[in-house]
Amino acid sequence: MSGEKRTYAGLLQANNYLRQLSDTTYWLCITRTVQESKLFPMNPYMLLSYLNTFYRLPTQLRAIEAVTPAEELGDRAREVSLKVDTVNAAWGMPAFYLIGREMLMNWGLLSPSDAVDDVVDVLDFSRRFNLAYHRTDGHLTNKEFGDRSQFLPERTLQVFESDLHGVRAGDRLHTAATKLVAQLSQYAFLAHCECRIGLHNSGPYAMGDNRQMIVRDFFELTEGDYPWLDGIATSLPFTNLTIPIVFADTDFHLMDDWASFEASPAYDAANIVAVGMYTSDALSDGYLPVGMENAETLAETMEHYREVLNQATADLWKRIASWSREQMIDAGAIVYSSVAKDFAHLAGVYRQEDWIALDDRVQRFKPLMNDEYGRDDLAEMVGLLGFPHQKANEYTMARHSKLNQNMLTGVPYSVLVDDDFAPTAGSSLTGTSTLEAKTGLWTTSAGRLELDDYNRRARDFTPAVLTGDHRYLDEEWVKRHHDDERAHELYRLAQRGSRRLEGRGAGLRRADLPTLGT
Amino acid sequence: MSDAAVTPPKWGSQEMLPLPGRFNSAVRALAAERFAATGAAWKDVVFARETELFTRSDAERIEQDALDAGIRFDYSATVSLETEPEKYKRPERSTGAFGDGAVSDGRRQVGAGDNVIRRPQTVTGPVALISTTDQVMTFLVEGVPEGTIAVIDDSGGTLTAPIIEGFAGVICLGGSVRSHLGILAREYGVPTLMNATIDTLVDGDVVELEVTADPPAADAYETGDTGHARIWKIEGDR
Repeated sequence: MSGEKRTYAGLLQANNYLRQLSDTTYWLCITRTVQESKLFPMNPYMLLSYLNTFYRLPTQLRAIEAVTPAEELGDRAREVSLKVDTVNAAWGMPAFYLIGREMLMNWGLLSPSDAVDDVVDVLDFSRRFNLAYHRTDGHLTNKEFGDRSQFLPERTLQVFESDLHGVRAGDRLHTAATKLVAQLSQYAFLAHCECRIGLHNSGPYAMGDNRQMIVRDFFELTEGDYPWLDGIATSLPFTNLTIPIVFADTDFHLMDDWASFEASPAYDAANIVAVGMYTSDALSDGYLPVGMENAETLAETMEHYREVLNQATADLWKRIASWSREQMIDAGAIVYSSVAKDFAHLAGVYRQEDWIALDDRVQRFKPLMNDEYGRDDLAEMVGLLGFPHQKANEYTMARHSKLNQNMLTGVPYSVLVDDDFAPTAGSSLTGTSTLEAKTGLWTTSAGRLELDDYNRRARDFTPAVLTGDHRYLDEEWVKRHHDDERAHELYRLAQRGSRRLEGRGAGLRRADLPTLGT
Repeated sequence: MSDAAVTPPKWGSQEMLPLPGRFNSAVRALAAERFAATGAAWKDVVFARETELFTRSDAERIEQDALDAGIRFDYSATVSLETEPEKYKRPERSTGAFGDGAVSDGRRQVGAGDNVIRRPQTVTGPVALISTTDQVMTFLVEGVPEGTIAVIDDSGGTLTAPIIEGFAGVICLGGSVRSHLGILAREYGVPTLMNATIDTLVDGDVVELEVTADPPAADAYETGDTGHARIWKIEGDR
């Protein structure tokens, strides 16, 4: 696809999307403090990850798109919880790529015209993914939707509403669920080298009677792509868990593009009234219920998983605490620069060497990355917007800051008439890392697999709700065809494995469902 | 020939922070000098000969120049200080960041922070100042003494990952209620004040955290309306 979108219309679209990312990312950054960690040299690895993404992502995405188009990947992500989600794929992937571009521009190692075909391709891929991912709510980003995320269709939400188990503060399931969520959050931060991309939240969804549901996801819980998870939490049968939680009298007024939420009154576990647990991944045909047979079984399953993850947290912490500084930096940079890697799993083209390495072109910058430079250069770039080239003309008042500065630099339209630029950073990927090589298996809903087997299964798999015409039967169509046999078939696919809705079809409304949490 | 990559931008300025200013200026100067020396068109250099514009040795020299000029860097991760102690400033716990209040009812206000979750009662206990992996390993092996309130100068969630649930309370000297440690404190239900400023505390000082205070408003970090939860030191208990 290289070069074919280098048109005036293509550039207008790319620059518009870039500016939205620029504004949103600035807002996200200034509403947080600079993230630091006493365990991980976090800011140095973040800077290196951005450079790694700049050099490698366009080639990685072209390999994926040669098999599966971005909009089809968005369809997949819309139906279940995958690691290509709001924070990883929708925001992080394009933002990290563009931030790496800013760093190189600031160093005088890149002009804004260079890599134009890469920029346009990355943004085009990202935009098409996002549009398909957000198809149900019809927006491009959470920010555009007013900081909310409602990508799941009614047929899935009805199953959640019917099957979730009711809880009261202090009962066994309530305690098990709140403790498991805490443990999962803790473990996800650690497994992802202190960054938040192993956690994801979406919603809120209206559940009636002044109740709202958010869907909480936790990814990469045991052996998979990250070599440091070899041998960790291997008694967990799944690598991803999704926990829908219904709250009473709590308004989730913000679900931002980092998949973080804010609520009024503040999040309080005492207000949880119903919970459930599911898993899904690149090989699962929809959400698969986990321990959902009854409340006791769910509580028991959650308690067991919590014990496994509690031990896994201690085991992993000890492993990481023994790492060298460079190993910590490599691991963190790999985590951040591989936010799009699960696209490769969906397409069945994942290769460890593509994603779990720092590019040779990035390695040369490592000696600059002491902790203070990492912290202050990041703050300069995404908070102060103090890079010389981030300034705009003196009449400019940017969104949020009202200052004449933008985080991300647009592509000059002069690329349509000039030729003194190199259109791509190239397609040759060579890289290394100081981490031990992976030796374990890949944990999936189809069992623990060798990578070749995982890729082969992924290439051969399409979820039933996306086969044939199903893919295009959206809720605008369902609205007027809920008695149509095709609608019933579509809903029955989502109802497979449901304790209470199996086979019920498309005609149900909330009043027809069992009372939530009974 | 266009030199868009090396021409100083119109409306441009210099970086505001000293170390990025120093390092980035040095990289820019080297890149411009090396490009001029190639005599080639930019498009033939930018990627095809990019390692001629800037090398690992250049990066090492830029850092060495800073060290030779007497600059020592702030560290954030303890592994950085342990690996290359000659490059980093020695740790100094800030003292007197919060002015002492008067003693009243046997307690003195020694700090304030942002409450993560409002609780019905304040929490009181002896403090343990934690900033190294060795300390965490000791707690991991020996267990966290009951009632301990951790003072952590790290808003991340990983340093104390295996032991956070054991604390009766946490005072975090940085971050915000949205930081990773704030998120985990909320999930675990551990009474926690983020973004705290405190006067000098030493291990064993008994403090009381006002976790009955409201958490900061949604826009508090933009308006600066923070720091409403108080920290008192119980006098005479040591």
